[in-house]
Amino acid sequence: MSLVSLQGVGKTYRGRTGAWEAVRDFSLDLDDGEFFCLLGTSGCGKTTVLNMVAGFEQPSAGRILLGGAPVDRPGADRGVVFQGHDSLYEWLTALDNIGFGLRLRGMGRRERRAKAEHYLHMVGLTGQGAKHPSELSGGMKQRIQIARALANDPRILLMDEPFGALDAMTRAVLQGELSRIWAETRKTVLFITHDIEEAVALATRVGVMKRGPGGTLKAVVPVDLPFPRERTSDAFMAAFRSVHALIHDEIHGAH
Amino acid sequence: MTRSTVRTDSRLATVAGYVAGFALLFLIWHLAATLLVKSILFPPPWPVFERAVVLIEDNILQEQIVASMRRILLGFALGSAIGIPVGLAIGSFRVVRWLLEPWTEFFRFIPAVAMITVAVIWFGIGEESKIFLIAYTTVFVVVISTAAGVGAVGRDKIRAAQCLGASRLQVFALVALPATVPYILTGMRLAMANAFVTIVAAELIASNDGLGKLLWDARLFMQIEDIFVALVALGLLGFATDRVFRFLIRIFAGRFNATV
Repeated sequence: MSLVSLQGVGKTYRGRTGAWEAVRDFSLDLDDGEFFCLLGTSGCGKTTVLNMVAGFEQPSAGRILLGGAPVDRPGADRGVVFQGHDSLYEWLTALDNIGFGLRLRGMGRRERRAKAEHYLHMVGLTGQGAKHPSELSGGMKQRIQIARALANDPRILLMDEPFGALDAMTRAVLQGELSRIWAETRKTVLFITHDIEEAVALATRVGVMKRGPGGTLKAVVPVDLPFPRERTSDAFMAAFRSVHALIHDEIHGAH
Repeated sequence: MTRSTVRTDSRLATVAGYVAGFALLFLIWHLAATLLVKSILFPPPWPVFERAVVLIEDNILQEQIVASMRRILLGFALGSAIGIPVGLAIGSFRVVRWLLEPWTEFFRFIPAVAMITVAVIWFGIGEESKIFLIAYTTVFVVVISTAAGVGAVGRDKIRAAQCLGASRLQVFALVALPATVPYILTGMRLAMANAFVTIVAAELIASNDGLGKLLWDARLFMQIEDIFVALVALGLLGFATDRVFRFLIRIFAGRFNATV
């Protein structure tokens, strides 16, 4: 049985200007331990899909199951890494941010600290735990977000363009780190992006979405390349081209 | 250069700047009084200072300051104690907002100065009427800024807590409340300025002591230096109170908000 199952999921927003169909008939099964990248142009509804899996929004059609049980609200079994870093708590230190979920569960201070230190080390910020978010760079803040989500040991990690606001070099470094962390933890990941290279570099499978409105899954491409991935290799280029060919029409296609 | 020396340097520069600023103010006052106005109705700083020394030696100035500050602090504490929870409730629950927003939107346009008459009729000219007026002028500012603070808590902060397993109560106590602290403190700081306006007005009209009373008596007896002593005292007290407030904000919330 798949870990997460989206079955004919649709989402329509109703506002003063009429109805807006963000997602239509979206079906996907995520297996335990895979790294799934959902790739799409802006406005295709990929973030809406993630928000529904997270439980922040309810589908207007279809259903979402996690381990066979329907998803109807946010929960600790789904860790979320947000695009913006204003989800961090600026009145807490980096370490206390990471341990926030553990504190909610009533874990003792010492145990919490040890665990938070472990994840701080995992994201490569050893020794930076006493700093507040305002003292950290954008890339470091995203590392803290990843550590905070992982420390809570969710069944799946949902990442909404987590590196989208970073400069290209920091982004590449963090992609490498995330790959390593994923290899260490084998945590299931649903990763939203509009960056083809990022998707091919990280994913075990890439799902390409159709252009919105009414975004839906166009195709799913497995990426059978070993980690760490060499971006200039012929195999990487070939994978890039095959994904690019799929999304090309969505970028340039006639309206 | 280490970080702490940078901090000490900038603090020294701040203090030096303030001293120079005040010196300039008194210099301009002196020049304006001696060269421009040349009237007995606008004394230069020195006779005012001499008069202040006399009032301090006779223990009169201290008594008025204590009387006024006591009222301000009591009323301010009472108003904040009411305003913060009400503001939190308005910001958190739509029903409370619907019920109480007409109240805040109605009463905040009736200035405390306009309430002096009713306050005196209800509570007499004793302490109660003044404390009521200060609390009144404090409460709406604090309510509005607290409620605004709750409304300004980032959506992702709440969502992050939810997907880390937070209950509604935990979201409130551990996310919404700390995120609102800078807004609460800012509201209180604004309310403190209102409190100074209100206390003087109330003491001018109905009081046996306080800086407002000092102003009023000085007017009656044409003691022009006394008026200026009271004015300078108010300015310095307000300045000092605001400094204390900013200091507290930095201690409690410096890490919350870099713009303080």
